[in-house]
Amino acid sequence: MGKRITVPFGSQHVALPEPVRFVFQTENEKIVDVEVDVGYVHRGIEKACATKFKYMQVGYVVARVCGLCAISHTLGYVTALERLMGVEVPKRALYLRLLVSELDRIHSHLLAMGHTAEVAGYENLFMQTFRHRELVMEMLELLTGNRVQFDFACPGGVNRDLTPEVEKVLREKLKVLEEKALWLRDVYENDFSLALRWKGTGVVTEEMAKEMNVVGPPARAAGLKTDVRAEFDYLPFKEVGYRMVVLKGGSIYERNLVRALEVLNSIEMCWNILDGLPEGDIKVPVKGLPEGEMFVRIEAPRGELFYYIRGSKKLILDRVRIRVPTFANIPVMKELFVGMDYADVPATVISFDPCLSCTAR
Amino acid sequence: MVVDEIKVPLREVRRTIKEFYDPKEWHFITVNGVDLGGKVELKWFFTKYGEREYFKVVTSEASYDDEIPTITYLIPSAWISEWELADLFGLNVEGAKRGLFLDPESPQAPLRRG
Repeated sequence: MGKRITVPFGSQHVALPEPVRFVFQTENEKIVDVEVDVGYVHRGIEKACATKFKYMQVGYVVARVCGLCAISHTLGYVTALERLMGVEVPKRALYLRLLVSELDRIHSHLLAMGHTAEVAGYENLFMQTFRHRELVMEMLELLTGNRVQFDFACPGGVNRDLTPEVEKVLREKLKVLEEKALWLRDVYENDFSLALRWKGTGVVTEEMAKEMNVVGPPARAAGLKTDVRAEFDYLPFKEVGYRMVVLKGGSIYERNLVRALEVLNSIEMCWNILDGLPEGDIKVPVKGLPEGEMFVRIEAPRGELFYYIRGSKKLILDRVRIRVPTFANIPVMKELFVGMDYADVPATVISFDPCLSCTAR
Repeated sequence: MVVDEIKVPLREVRRTIKEFYDPKEWHFITVNGVDLGGKVELKWFFTKYGEREYFKVVTSEASYDDEIPTITYLIPSAWISEWELADLFGLNVEGAKRGLFLDPESPQAPLRRG
């Protein structure tokens, strides 16, 4: 047994896109204990939603929880509000929400895949992945008006319609993106160096995933069949060709491969949405004041996103609670590190695609 | 949406969850608090794998001074939700450390209404 050495990882670290701090106790490079701190970017958003902002404004506030999954946050909130207030959203609006939601998943997954490639020392693949991700950013900008903080969904529907001109450009870009995504899937699946580096590293077993309530791509990579898109009817996924991607293995390799395969399924769904987009209104008025409680689950790119709201017939809600996917996955990450080589930590952390803006809120 | 809500006194929460919770079948989502002024309503949310829109919710109430029983003996991943309750509501949760989300200098128990 070697001398015990304390190694801090974060809050600022070259491998981390966001501030989280792990303090590892190591013996001969093996981690024997770990502490975690996730509160570096706590902004009191739940407090603000229940004290400063009216219920019609909260969708725009929660979009600021996270730049990457802003669409999922707004979608979670407006779905809960619409269910609470008995609002029936037009079918065209639901399809448009689904379109941006899946585009959001594609760009988030490509970001996670790119970062993992970078941490593996594969700079060129990181740049290629981000280059192709740019196509999705452009599509989202065309659709919503913004590259981040999209503010697309609103209570009762969506804020912008899809024009024929935009649809034409989307189809052109989607075609290019599909080719690139197929190439990326091939690289992430078959590249010898990546497989050698990632296979069998940072393994979450199916039992562990159930025991630790893991969500999102890390759960599905471990063989756990869970995806809110199949478990909660918030958008018409069944009508546009959704398929759950589940793999066995649970290592960094499978987590990235799940993402690569989900990108392809999301692109297929986008094609189907564009081909079958219903005609009609994009928004209905929301009248009255919210009374009672409601909770919903949404499949954000990183996994299950849970929204709880409660109102008492006032303009300002009594409670808005946001439970984000990274929050749910921090316990398994902490568990996973014990017994791991310190050298495997950066790739393992990034393969969970952690979002600390979401976690701390 | 089917919601099976079970209201129990605080001391019964752990036993109630133990009676039905099997990690192979149930997914623990989170524990949520709502301040009611002088006391907090607590809800433990669960959903079943493979079921559509099915939830089980264990509900209880705790005064600010009560000790909230931990469920980490049953659900190891619940610690983060419990530590958050301790930070944001200033509640005394069994085994929870303070400071995961809030700095010592920041306003304490920000989600209390009183």
